[in-house]
Amino acid sequence: MTFLERTTDPRRFRHWEGNMEADYIYTSGVAGERFFVALRDEGRLLAARCTACRFDYLPPRLFCEDCFAELKEFVEVPREGRVTAVTVAHVDRTGAPLDRPEVWAFVTFKGIRGGLVHRLLAPPDRARAGLAVRARLRPKAARVGAVTDIEGFEPTRS
Amino acid sequence: MTERISHWPGIELSAADLLEGKVTQTRFRPNAKYAWAAGEAMSRFLEELQNGRLIARTCHGCDRILFPPRMFCEECFRPTDAWTYIRDTGTIETFSISYLDTDARRISEPILVGVVSLDGASPKMGMMHYFGDMTKDEIRIGMRVKASWKPREERQGSVLDIRYFRPLREGEG
Repeated sequence: MTFLERTTDPRRFRHWEGNMEADYIYTSGVAGERFFVALRDEGRLLAARCTACRFDYLPPRLFCEDCFAELKEFVEVPREGRVTAVTVAHVDRTGAPLDRPEVWAFVTFKGIRGGLVHRLLAPPDRARAGLAVRARLRPKAARVGAVTDIEGFEPTRS
Repeated sequence: MTERISHWPGIELSAADLLEGKVTQTRFRPNAKYAWAAGEAMSRFLEELQNGRLIARTCHGCDRILFPPRMFCEECFRPTDAWTYIRDTGTIETFSISYLDTDARRISEPILVGVVSLDGASPKMGMMHYFGDMTKDEIRIGMRVKASWKPREERQGSVLDIRYFRPLREGEG
């Protein structure tokens, strides 16, 4: 009887289906724009530097989290980074099983606050924290100014 | 803008800037599908309309016949008990002579809408609908009416499976 049991499937009843249009465009922002344009056009990874606090931020941001100063200086991130955390995914974002597991890593760089979450281009059995990695970029012609311009991070030594 | 503020801080972007890809951006379309259900009582109600019948729910707590049907009695705070058919004849409780159509456009020939309480349901229980086969001068509160059904093949389980309520004829009801 109803009210003692909750309706969990509206399709059991006469129902109307629809699709809410909630499209959005999210711009990268001032600092994000610098990061993605440098990535797309020059193939460089940039961090925002606070000269007062001596912090470099990745991804770059417009204000220093410590002193709230506006950040105008950008520095290149070292080529080699380290895997700080890894996870092996067996399902995709929608929960559908993957043919082959994907390895994801949080990569940090020496002296830089923050880091990037991206694909780790290594088999699951090699995925571990501490692995030295380097960004592998897409060819320039294929880059569009998005984080996917980086194909992933690959181990520097095999 | 105000006297003191001539522009807002930040960088203004036009729709064209976004469309032309002047700045880097992420586009996303959420898969926001939904299914809105009429619920247990109203689903049955709509289904029965397709059959050309009006159905109600009885409550044994207050001995009322609830129409439109609902699965919960708002007087007794308990689930209702049984399905029962009521008649498609009733009495006009209130009405409006509307010179606006359903899109709020002005119309010269008014539409008649109102609430009809139905025979077989508890007093004052009924539905809102159109009235037809009568003029704006003939319509009266207390007038006896009967549902004018669409032909069976045109019915689709909608409240509009009843075209309108028309005057009850001599010998009917």
